[in-house]
Order: sequence, then C-alpha cells, then structure tokens
Amino acid sequence: MASHYHITLKIRRYDPENRRSWIQNYHLEAGRILRFVDLFRKINNEQDPTFSWNSSCEHGQCGTCSVKINGKPLLACELLVENAVQYFNTPVFNVEPLEVAPVVRDLVFDLTKAYKRIDQVKPYVISPANPPSDQDEYSISPNEMKQYINATRCINCFCCSSACISSHRNFLGPNAMLASMIRVLDPREKEKAQRLKILYGHRGVYRCHSSRACSFVCPKEIDVAHFVALAKAGRFNDPNNE
Amino acid sequence: MVKKRLERFISHRLDQVPIASVYVKSRGWYFVIAWAHRLCGILMVLFASVHIYTLSFLSTPALYDAKIKFFGLAPFAFLSWMLAIPVIFHALNGGRLILYEMFGSRNDNSMTRWVFSLSIAFVFLQGLLMMLWSRSVSMLFFWLVAATINSSLACIVISKSWKATGSIFWKFHRITGSFLLIMVPAHLMLMHLQPGISQEAAMVIARIQNPFIKWIDLGMLFAMLYHGGYGLISITGDYIESKVLQNGLAALIFLTMAAFGWIGTRLAIMI
Repeated sequence: MASHYHITLKIRRYDPENRRSWIQNYHLEAGRILRFVDLFRKINNEQDPTFSWNSSCEHGQCGTCSVKINGKPLLACELLVENAVQYFNTPVFNVEPLEVAPVVRDLVFDLTKAYKRIDQVKPYVISPANPPSDQDEYSISPNEMKQYINATRCINCFCCSSACISSHRNFLGPNAMLASMIRVLDPREKEKAQRLKILYGHRGVYRCHSSRACSFVCPKEIDVAHFVALAKAGRFNDPNNE
Repeated sequence: MVKKRLERFISHRLDQVPIASVYVKSRGWYFVIAWAHRLCGILMVLFASVHIYTLSFLSTPALYDAKIKFFGLAPFAFLSWMLAIPVIFHALNGGRLILYEMFGSRNDNSMTRWVFSLSIAFVFLQGLLMMLWSRSVSMLFFWLVAATINSSLACIVISKSWKATGSIFWKFHRITGSFLLIMVPAHLMLMHLQPGISQEAAMVIARIQNPFIKWIDLGMLFAMLYHGGYGLISITGDYIESKVLQNGLAALIFLTMAAFGWIGTRLAIMI
C-alpha cells in the first residue's frame, strides 16, 4: 500500500461571468488518508485560489460537498484518496458538479434551486394531530418508527437525484420522494390526501424505473429504491379510503 | 464454492466491458440492466411495428409470400434468432421488476441470476429448435398452455394491484407486461418450431382463422401496443422538459400505436 499517491484531478470549471466551461488538470501529491475535500483545499492553498467548491460539516452529515468523481455522485468529505484509487483503479479522477441544478461556479451548484423540489413535497407536518389526552407530547412507537427510520437518515445531498435513470428533469427525485414518504408514514401527520396526491402525481414515484442507482450511490446507505417500490406497490393507502 | 468462483469470474469479466463498466462503477449493475431493459423495449417496439406492417400484406397472400421469403434468407434467420435476446431479457427482467415493485421481493441478486440464466437457456433452446426443424407441434395446444399460464400470471398481478393506491395507467402497464411475459417468447418460439412453413401466408391465415388463436393474437396485439406505448411515453417524459413537446410526442406515440392497432384488428377481422 502506497503512503503517497501522485494523482491528477481533471476538474470541470465554470466561469459564470464569461459563461465559459472547461476542464482544468491539477497534479497533486496526496497522502493516502486525505479526503477529496482536503485535496480541493490543497489546490486552493497551493495552486489555484480561484477554484470554487462547497462544503460545510465535512463529516458526511450536511450533504453540501456532493460532487461526481469519475461519474459517481458522492460526498467529497467521505472519499479517501486510497479508497478512490482502489475503487476506480486509477489515480486520475474526473471531478464534476452534480447536474441537479444550475452550476453557480466550478463545483458549486445552486442548492436553493435544488431544494425547491424538496419544498414541493412539503417536508414538514402540514396538519399535526393532537397528542393523546393523557400526554403532553405525541410519542411514536418503535414499531411505527421502524417502518421509516432509515428514510429519516437522508441528508439531501442529491447524489441519488444525480444518479437516477429518470434524470432530474421531470422527476422530483428519490430524496424528495423519501421526504414525502416519511411524512405519509408519520402518525402525527393528519393531512395524508394532499401528500399522496404529490407522491403519485406526474412528477412522483411513477417516474422511477427501479434502476436502484439511488440505493447504490446513497452515502447514508439508505435503500431508497425499497421505499419508492413500497409506494409503487400502494403500501401507503389513502386513509380516506380505509 | 464453484458457484461463487463462477460468479466472481463472470462479474470480473463483465466489469471490463467498455462503457458498461463505467456505469457499473458509478451507478451499479441495476442501472446498466435498467438501460438494457429500455433499449430492448425500444428494439421490440420497432420490430413489432415492422412485423405488423409485414402481416398487413396477408390480404394479398402472393405479395406476402414474396416479402416473407426475403426474411427466410440466412442473415435474416440469424437476426431472427438474435431477436430472442431482447425478447426474453425484457420479459424476464420485466418479471423481476414486477416482483420487486409489486410483490415486495427484495432478493434482487438471486432474481437477476435467474433472469440471465433463463435468458441464456431460452436463446440456446431457440437456436436448437431452429436447427431441428420440428413440425410436430399442435398450435392450439401450444397456445392453450401458454395462454393459461400467462392469464394466471396476469390475474395474480391484477389481484395484487386492484386495491392499491396509484395510477391506473402504471398498473395497466404492469398487467399487460405480465400478460406478455410468456406470450411473446412463446410466440417467438412457435414461429421457430416450424421455420419457413409457419410463416407462409396459407399457414398464417389458417392459424388466424381459428377463433381461439384470433383472440390470442388480438390480446397480444393490444397488450403490446399499450405496454410499448406507455414505455415510450414514459421515456420521453424522463428527458423532455417542455410540456408542449412532451404532450406532442405522447400524442404522436398514441396515434402511431392506434394506427398499428387498427391495421392488426382489421387484419384479424378480415381473415
């Protein structure tokens, strides 16, 4: 196992002032446990301060550093140099922004626009049920929670949306579907009909073709396709019909 | 042990296939399978269109026989064997998707192994049948068995989807898919049980004149047109953002399918 790697990052740059896009090569000496966000910072510090990228928590919890490395959408803060060289079997990496929203600059895409899709599924309790009369708060039983606890781990990094075979043009996206399903399954939510209308609408679950790329790329290892398949199987029946 | 070694060997070889290997690394095998499913579907819609168009010449048997002779040439015989690949793969993989989406079967790796193993077996069986030139099959019995098995499958899918929430169009796509799952590969196999002879105008006309087979053919025709049409509209809906263009293409696909439906129905009624 090498302690250092000579790696090349072929980064897709974008200059919004001149609306120009190009590929720029950066050659780096990198330690094996450096993450890709560390490489980006190294480029800023040592080679090119104009190169722009996004990150916030840098430990896989916020989803802001998602990029495509050799075509695979992933979190740059989670990918170590050593793992990347082994997985892709090359020290040369093409780095691109996710194409789920317009690119602002280099690897930074417009998160506000990307989040508009999540907003469409109303990721909050629209009409909360009253807590039981003998309790101050609404408690969810472990059995109820078990049905969708995994879906709640989604951090909206948009990797699934980027990988999806249905593209991201007319499909709200696997992560938006998860956000919707969590609230459908949430026993505190009374407004189910409106949710189901969005879930089964023309930008909803039927745009999914079960290519399962969402589950494959999900950094939180959520089996997204499983939840979407549950929705397609009609498991979230309209409470008005029950 | 042998199974694992074989799987490792196959997956290692497949990982080296150009283009596909890039997507296998970046999106996973099921993404590549989903694309293969789409491409096979498109290919089958194209073939079915040519097939219906060719059959429309049955009203003038001499003209039909002249055209069908062309398809009896060696390169076309090879291509017609090759057609078994998209047909059986699309059918079995469609079955896998129905099991995954509607019946909650999550043992996808095992199902995929079955899809590929049975596909390979079917393609070789098809080739063998073409070479054996067997003529001893009773068409009525053949279709009775195929239709009974397939109608049972379709009934299971209908009963599963009937009360579930969701789009009736999507459910009907799955129902027609389950109806075609055995019927289309069976149709392909039957044609090759009696190559040349079974495709002559007199034979085809005699076959369609049987009321049972006539209904089978019409059922297949409409199931295929709906299934293929929905699939094509669904693909255009994935990639075309403009609502006007999307609706325009959907209308065009609908009209094309309706035209083929009309040609096929007229043929079945006339004969």
